[in-house]
Amino acid sequence: MSCINVNHLSKSYGSVNAVDDIVLSVNSGQVFGFLGPNGAGKSTTIKLLTTLIPPSSGSLSILGVDAVKNPLNVRHKIGVVLQQPSYEPTLTVEKSLDKYGMMWNVPKKIRKKRMEQLLQDFDLVEIRKKRNEDLSIGQRRRVQVAREFMHDMELLFLDEPTVGLDPSARRKLLDYLKNKVKTGLTIFYTTHILSEAEYLCDEIAIIDKGKIIAIDSPNALKSRFGKEKTIKIHLLETQSNISALLSGISDCKINFETGTNIIIHSEQSELVLLQVLKILNENNIQIEDLSAVPTNLEDIFLKMVKENASNN
Amino acid sequence: MHPIIRLVNRNLTISLNPGFLIWQVIFPLIYIFVAGYAYAPLINDVPFGGKDLDYPAFLASGMIGFNIMNSTLISGILIWNDRRHGMFEQIMSGPFTRSHYILSNICTIGIIGLVSASLIAVVGYPVFFESVEFSFITIPIIIFGAITGSILFGSLASIISTRIHSSEGFNVIINTVFLFFAFVSTAFYPADGAPEPLRTAFYLNPLTYLVDVIRAGIFGTITEFVIIEMIILVGIASVLFIIASKLLTKLDF
Repeated sequence: MSCINVNHLSKSYGSVNAVDDIVLSVNSGQVFGFLGPNGAGKSTTIKLLTTLIPPSSGSLSILGVDAVKNPLNVRHKIGVVLQQPSYEPTLTVEKSLDKYGMMWNVPKKIRKKRMEQLLQDFDLVEIRKKRNEDLSIGQRRRVQVAREFMHDMELLFLDEPTVGLDPSARRKLLDYLKNKVKTGLTIFYTTHILSEAEYLCDEIAIIDKGKIIAIDSPNALKSRFGKEKTIKIHLLETQSNISALLSGISDCKINFETGTNIIIHSEQSELVLLQVLKILNENNIQIEDLSAVPTNLEDIFLKMVKENASNN
Repeated sequence: MHPIIRLVNRNLTISLNPGFLIWQVIFPLIYIFVAGYAYAPLINDVPFGGKDLDYPAFLASGMIGFNIMNSTLISGILIWNDRRHGMFEQIMSGPFTRSHYILSNICTIGIIGLVSASLIAVVGYPVFFESVEFSFITIPIIIFGAITGSILFGSLASIISTRIHSSEGFNVIINTVFLFFAFVSTAFYPADGAPEPLRTAFYLNPLTYLVDVIRAGIFGTITEFVIIEMIILVGIASVLFIIASKLLTKLDF
């Protein structure tokens, strides 16, 4: 069952189409990643989906509610962590959580229980009495994300929630989110950090210049767009004639760095590697290190955005 | 709990801190007990609505209006802080509408204005108790003045907070405007006897009407002119409230 249905949604500011005729469907109980370069339209899309701004055209259904006609009904059911920091400077961490729960009409007893749990889960116990204005950027971000779990929701929008977090806090948050999804929560997640998307997301959409250029699971995207593999060979000694020796190998692109490093890009990487090894062996050239770099989402993302730019 | 009540609760929690409360009481006390008694030998009885008031009593009653105006600065600061620290957008993505947000601000400043007026009335009571004439009409008039004045100045502070983008600009404009209101009014001195241009300027200032209405309520001197002042006060408060609401409705994310 899908909890977000977007049909030909557009948002224009004057002559600029920030979001251009996007069609999107997000299934319940999964993490949906929304990726794109700066200015691609990610934040505008989040603002449209969270009913902060109305669309210029198109229709939008969130959790079965028409979000254009009934934005308040939608907002009762969702949680939102926006990209920009949001906090009340004079409140302490625990007061921030409690007041946020109160704003969502969560009964006092439940608020107290949830607050204690969230202080633990987000490593906020030690700073619970500190005022928001005295926190570091990372601590403030953790409070901002933790605060959203004070209330019940069916769908959570997270707009680059790990900005400012150290690697350990980042991983902890991703694992926390994974566990929440297991309880039935759906997450709409935007990020610049593609390893995060790869780790967390069940499905990914890539947006560029306001248009969605791909939607699929990370693995499907890899097999569709990531056939080319990279092999790195580090030679024991500098070989001045290496370029000439390998020039006869077809179906690949070979780069040489400093006479000892060979980088091979090919869709037939296994066959090409065999040929390279054979040539090196025949010429008594010793290898110090060899590695195959798996295709990651970042490569695919960069490739797709580049291709989209050249197509335009 | 209604969304507006929840937002008022939140507004009061973040606005009312011990520093603000002390400032709200200490500042007027210095005016009343230091300036009031220091200037008393220089200023004879002040005529007001057919009564002769001594200067400390005149000043103490003026400080109620002055304090209401000062406390409503909170409205502007609230909106300013919410925009600056991302809470406006956060609240608007939650179970609230812009109308909830606007009305909660009005309720907040109404409550703070009333509490502020009550504080100064209690503190200033020993100063003006000899001339006080409370009745069934005068007390509602004081409450009316406190609420209308709060809405008026709160709306004005809200308008400024929606139009100014830098914190320096916001502070300079708010302080300049409120300084003008404070000293070009009848809060500290009577209009009678002031030079004609200054007297005219006094009556271009809504604080004059607020202070006059509060004084009339305290000293039981309700005249036709005071009723006209009440009508003017309602008119200005309504216009400013409508403008503030429109600007808040159009506020972009």
